[in-house]
Amino acid sequence: MLEVTTSTIFGAPTDRVWEVLRDFNGHDRWHPIVAESRIERGEPADRVGCVRRFVLQDGSELREQLLALSDLEQSFTYCLLDTPVPLFNYVATVRLLPVTDGDLTFALWRARFTTRPGEEQAMRRLVAEEVQKAGFEAVRSLVERAEEG
Amino acid sequence: MARVYVSSVIPAPVGRVWARIRDFNGLPSWHPAIAESRIENGEPSDRVGCVRDFRLRNGERIRERLLGLSDYEYFCTYSILESPMPLSDYVATLRLTPITDGDRTFAEWSAEFTCDPAREAELVATIGRTVF
Repeated sequence: MLEVTTSTIFGAPTDRVWEVLRDFNGHDRWHPIVAESRIERGEPADRVGCVRRFVLQDGSELREQLLALSDLEQSFTYCLLDTPVPLFNYVATVRLLPVTDGDLTFALWRARFTTRPGEEQAMRRLVAEEVQKAGFEAVRSLVERAEEG
Repeated sequence: MARVYVSSVIPAPVGRVWARIRDFNGLPSWHPAIAESRIENGEPSDRVGCVRDFRLRNGERIRERLLGLSDYEYFCTYSILESPMPLSDYVATLRLTPITDGDRTFAEWSAEFTCDPAREAELVATIGRTVF
């Protein structure tokens, strides 16, 4: 089992960051690799068990299922159901925690998965850079710009 | 049950911060309010179950027992056995998490205890202020 974790500090309170991240169907509005997304069967995006079907900028299609969502802990967990890349048993959690001495947010994105032998480095890099880091930087540009405004 | 939570960003890699925090007898080396500390019965300070007996700069004495220590998850949990504060069932956890963006450390400290409800707000404020 491989594990990839990215963590950062956002210059905005957790409630503001959570507004962006809580919407399981909202990633096509901020994540640079996601072109469009919808929730299957017209279910609400905060219904645990719902499935998001989305298309990346390169045209590939993925499905992910919401496994857990907590407004108390400001965290959610999801798994990958279908993907064209060799990411298997993929479960990821995003979690926010307040930095109390400054009203900032500590954000952590952790993914666990397996892959085919020989593809470990490529998949680690894909998850760390293109999914997690690019995602957090996009969230940062939304929440920190809003804070300044 | 009263709860206190404070957290901060420390501009140093988690390994370096943990090297300081990990020593259950090391409070005087980093905490400004602590004057001296010793581990009872000459036990090693990373032996889970050991008791530290320390004195604050204002002369007050506190005894705490190490309940849990993890070099893997970077946390340390302990309870108060004796203190001048009007509270009981006090358990606290200090936890470090690496911030991969910038090689910094996110430090969290939380405590739970029971006390007279009339004094809860004051105790929560005092305890929260004295940690970092």
